[in-house]
Amino acid sequence: MAQTNGTAPNGDESKQHSLLSSLMPHLDRHLVFPLLNFAEEETAESDTTALNEIAQLKYLLLKDTNMSDFVGDLYATLHDLPERPGEFAKKREEVLEKRRQYEEETEKMQALLADADVVGMLRSDKTSNMNYLKENHGVTPEMVDSLYEFGRFLYECGDYSTSAELLYQFRILSTDNDKVNAATWGKLASDILTTNWESAMEEVTKLKESIDTRLFNNPLAQLQHRTWLIHWSLFPFFNHEPAREMLTELFFSPTYINTIQTSCPWILRYLAAAVITNRTPINTATGKAGYLHTSNYQKQLKDLIRVVRQEQYEYSDPVTDFVKALYVDFDFETAQQTLSVADSILRSDFFLVAASESFLDAARHLISESYCKIHQRIDIKDLSQRLGLSSEEGEKWIVNLIRDTRVDAKIDYKAGTVLMNHPPQSVYQQVIERTKGGFFRTQVLSAAVGR
Amino acid sequence: MSRFFHGSDSSSESSSEEEELYSDEEQPRAQPAATDNSDADSDDSDDDDDDGSSSSSDAGGKTGASKFLISDSEEASESDEEKVTVVKSAKDKRFDELEGTIRLIENGEKIGDWNAINDNYDKMQRQVPVLVRDLDGKPPKMYIKIIAELETTVLEAFEKQKVTPKKMNPIAQKGLNALRQKIRKNNRDYTTELEEFRKDPDAYMKEDVVEEPAPTTRKPKKSLLQNENSLGAGDDGFTMVGAGGKAMVYTPESILKHLRSIVESRGRKNTDRLEQIRVMERLLDVATTTYQRIRVLLTVIATRFDLTSGTGSQMSQEQWKLAQSEIAQLLGILEGDKDIVVVENAEEWEDDDKQPPIVSGDLFKVPGSVVSFVERLDDELTRVLQHVDPHTAEYVERLQDEGSLYTTIVNCMLYTERLKADKRLDASQDTINRVVMRRLEHVYFKPATVISKAEEDTWKVVPAKVDSAITPRAQSSDVSSLVQTLATYLFQHADGIIRARAMLCQIYYLALHDSYYRARDMLLMSHLQETIGSFDVNTQILYNRTLTQVGLCAFRAGLVYECQTALQDICGSQRQKELLAQGLQMQRYSQITPEQERLERQRQLPFHMHINLELLECVYLTCSMLLEIPTLAQAGSSPDLKKRVISKSYRRMLEYHERQIFTGPPENTRDHVMQASKALAAGEWKKSAEFITSIKIWDLLQRPTETKKMLEGQIQEEGLRTYLFTYAPFYDTLNLDTLAGMFDLSTSKVTALVSKMIHHEELAAALDQVNSAIIFRKGVELSRLQSLALTLSDKAQGLIESNERVLEQRTQGTANAFQRQDAGRGGRGGRGGGRGGARGGRTQGQIRRGGDGGSSGFTGGALGNAIRAQ
Repeated sequence: MAQTNGTAPNGDESKQHSLLSSLMPHLDRHLVFPLLNFAEEETAESDTTALNEIAQLKYLLLKDTNMSDFVGDLYATLHDLPERPGEFAKKREEVLEKRRQYEEETEKMQALLADADVVGMLRSDKTSNMNYLKENHGVTPEMVDSLYEFGRFLYECGDYSTSAELLYQFRILSTDNDKVNAATWGKLASDILTTNWESAMEEVTKLKESIDTRLFNNPLAQLQHRTWLIHWSLFPFFNHEPAREMLTELFFSPTYINTIQTSCPWILRYLAAAVITNRTPINTATGKAGYLHTSNYQKQLKDLIRVVRQEQYEYSDPVTDFVKALYVDFDFETAQQTLSVADSILRSDFFLVAASESFLDAARHLISESYCKIHQRIDIKDLSQRLGLSSEEGEKWIVNLIRDTRVDAKIDYKAGTVLMNHPPQSVYQQVIERTKGGFFRTQVLSAAVGR
Repeated sequence: MSRFFHGSDSSSESSSEEEELYSDEEQPRAQPAATDNSDADSDDSDDDDDDGSSSSSDAGGKTGASKFLISDSEEASESDEEKVTVVKSAKDKRFDELEGTIRLIENGEKIGDWNAINDNYDKMQRQVPVLVRDLDGKPPKMYIKIIAELETTVLEAFEKQKVTPKKMNPIAQKGLNALRQKIRKNNRDYTTELEEFRKDPDAYMKEDVVEEPAPTTRKPKKSLLQNENSLGAGDDGFTMVGAGGKAMVYTPESILKHLRSIVESRGRKNTDRLEQIRVMERLLDVATTTYQRIRVLLTVIATRFDLTSGTGSQMSQEQWKLAQSEIAQLLGILEGDKDIVVVENAEEWEDDDKQPPIVSGDLFKVPGSVVSFVERLDDELTRVLQHVDPHTAEYVERLQDEGSLYTTIVNCMLYTERLKADKRLDASQDTINRVVMRRLEHVYFKPATVISKAEEDTWKVVPAKVDSAITPRAQSSDVSSLVQTLATYLFQHADGIIRARAMLCQIYYLALHDSYYRARDMLLMSHLQETIGSFDVNTQILYNRTLTQVGLCAFRAGLVYECQTALQDICGSQRQKELLAQGLQMQRYSQITPEQERLERQRQLPFHMHINLELLECVYLTCSMLLEIPTLAQAGSSPDLKKRVISKSYRRMLEYHERQIFTGPPENTRDHVMQASKALAAGEWKKSAEFITSIKIWDLLQRPTETKKMLEGQIQEEGLRTYLFTYAPFYDTLNLDTLAGMFDLSTSKVTALVSKMIHHEELAAALDQVNSAIIFRKGVELSRLQSLALTLSDKAQGLIESNERVLEQRTQGTANAFQRQDAGRGGRGGRGGGRGGARGGRTQGQIRRGGDGGSSGFTGGALGNAIRAQ
């Protein structure tokens, strides 16, 4: 598949921290398109040079695809032509012609696969499937390959859903591992572009496995593929709620965190944002589950801090700066400042724009949480200022916080302060805590030995 | 000339050699007879390996009983002087010897001593090939006769043995079996002769008798002629003092013959190599063609290196310089005439009388290896530098030669590159890798300024039209990329050890030039810490050096923790000298054999490559102090924390220092650090900083003032932490501003530090924002019983975890059931393990200890660059 496009550098200088140029080399051209669209929306109407630049970028990006109509329109707008030049019409004809040809080639295959009887005969073993089809229906490997070709062609045309369907069919039948792999990448891209997140996540898992198993003796290719996978999975990451948890885990797994550290440290921004927003407000739903969830959250946060700290020399942006200020330097003022910068960054980022609200909220929580942990007496006014809230709002915020986290704290209204009470954990409690699991674990152990 | 007389009183071989030398022109045919002695041991390596030395040392080459059996031949070769007059030459002697052996075999046959026969048979086999050559490829008749007879007797004996029930004596049995095997194998080579012999033994032998006398009768004439000739030459030389004689002896035509004779005497005892070198120098003067010059140079360089082949002796400066200039000359010639190349896999030109036809535009290959010469040259200089006292003027003088050596290496690299680029030659990648590696090894430990000077000088010497593909001339001014270019080239084209070494060199260079993060990332990504144990000792030394340099780099960058971890293994072991190959460490109970010690001495690095050990120790101790003192203060009285030792050697020193009743003013680096530690522990950061900054050795660093400032800052922070740990129990509240004043830090910095400590639960306290004070919590001090209970619970937990780990390892892959249950419980243990592993990958690697015998470890080092950088 066309993995990299390496076309024109990012002309968007207005946002210093834009990652567009870092991201683009690792994405497919079709996947870059939404990013560019977003950048276009973001750019002010009056800024015609920037708009033009983006249009130019788009044109270069899509020039080699089969979407001749669209490219023609783009060309026309770029050059102020009343209508598309003739060459595009010609190309369009060619594309249509080719499409017809492909349709003919794959007609039989598709008919076969639509036939319930045939599908019923298929087993999980690919070679026997192939033999069965060959014997009973005269299917040749070339025919199967043509499915792949057609799928790819349609993808280039922008017909993603059909493409995904075709590639899926191809994958069932083909025994050519390389092509199957390529088809998986193609299907992932198609799923992303049709916003079919469920199946996109399946593809991500498949790709992850194939990277681990197929390329294990080629570390460089592994790194490259992992980098792509990380970038591609950013799409489901921030658009599909259930995927977030899984992808966070994936990114934190040793191999992937190493990949991020070596080849694409800018992903840390997304990881940091994801971890911080992952915080689910602890509300009435208490019990064991809630406790486990927070401990997982704490762990992720710890990992994040570690990585951010390690990579500080190589990459930093307001989001990671925020993490650093809060947890490495314990400098609440800087944390507050970077938070507001980070907010504006988030709002102009394609992936994070939807999460910016919850990010701000969660970040405030984090600030106040660690602030309360460290301090015994806090001036409400000062705290509100730190959180970027008015005094009134601040008070409300604190009350909510006290209620939510069940911190042992009281507001001294007269002095305008909060008094935190940190009861030291009793030693006996600690001993009980540490020895709690011992019996159960020993039992498990002896059971396992006994077997 | 005098050298002629020299020749005549040297040993028999060389005298015959000399004779041959002069007689050749007149009587080329005499050569085989006259030189058979020398040929015997140089050519017949097929089956006379153990015999070779003895036959070359005593001219007769007879051993054991044969000596006594053939007394007449013994007489013949009694002395060297007689040899000229007595006719019996070495060839005849050989025949006699063979005869003797055959007689012994026959005797053995008679008494059935198969073991003796077997031994003698072996001996005969050794003697024969020489005779075969003497007889123009025909085996001697009597040899054929005896092997034919032997075959039949052996067969008979074997048959007989099968029939008779009586057992043979086991030794004889063994001999018989061995002999039978050998005969069967050997006789295959002589089938035609054997058949001839079997057809008509008498006739066959008669021929032999006829032929036999022929050479013997020719012999005297030849020898006499030889003698006369040599005498004449001697007379000539003596009367015509100098000029004429020289011109006569060394003509361009005879150069190749002279060379051959010199090459043949190589490795022989009693050859005067200096004399040979002088001869060749003269030959070089008379050489007319490029081919001759190349041949002479190749030989003379090799001979020069032979001068100091033994261990313990080094090349004198004069000889080294001559060798260097000759290699340069050789490279110059090769550069000038592109039709001739010196390559390792070339065929030797056998005909000494003729010049090989060198056609323009066609490559002519001369066997030899320029790269090996350059390598040897480099090694010789290293050996010299190892043995010269580094504090003398001589060392400096010899070190200056490194500049010309570097030029030679670069020239050699250009040459090999040219060979590689030439399609007609199938030049191996290996040679070019070797020379690139040499070049890299000469630059990696030097500061950029020194390298740029060397580069500049080199490119001045290199002819303007020559350029390198690997390191283009245009980029020669950009020194920082030079190391990278060389290393990258080796990454791409080499493998195994050279690749690892190139990587280490590059890391070393990066670390030396303060690119800490790049150096560290490369070191970690190379994964060398996992495999370094399987490399050779020199590479391990290089690895240690690199690790040390990375540690020092971290220190300069102010990364105390990273520095300490990197240096821990080298400096914590008390064997820095050994690990860095910077001197032998005398161990009290060492079990090192002299052999190991000699090897170790060979591995030592020359002084200019050393890493300053005192500076290293100082850096290590200072870092340990900055980490250990707060930890010690934090540990206070609780028993479990006390066990957390960061640096054992530092602790030991500190304890020793504390035991002293009276402490005087600090004298050495160690005293300074120890007293600074004491002051720091007491919260007196100013005094501590004073002690540290007054250490003189900091001046060896590139930027001493910055380093001192950095250290001061670190001491302030760690001092604050130590103070809080130590005195927390005595305070109820503490004003942040007061603290800031005490430690000369800004209030915000103090707040941040305290916040950090509170957040990490190192300090039982909270901040009061309104009054900007620290409020210490009371009642958190544990009683002894409580802390013991905590320790116990920890240990119990550790036990369970290690049990689980053991079980997991045992049942890896099979006992998934266990893991499933484990996961159901929340996976606490498993997660802990996983994280630990991940972190392990990121920490600095450990050093490996040396390979041989385990006891001796290794050694290595680089210093002077730091000193000279000033």
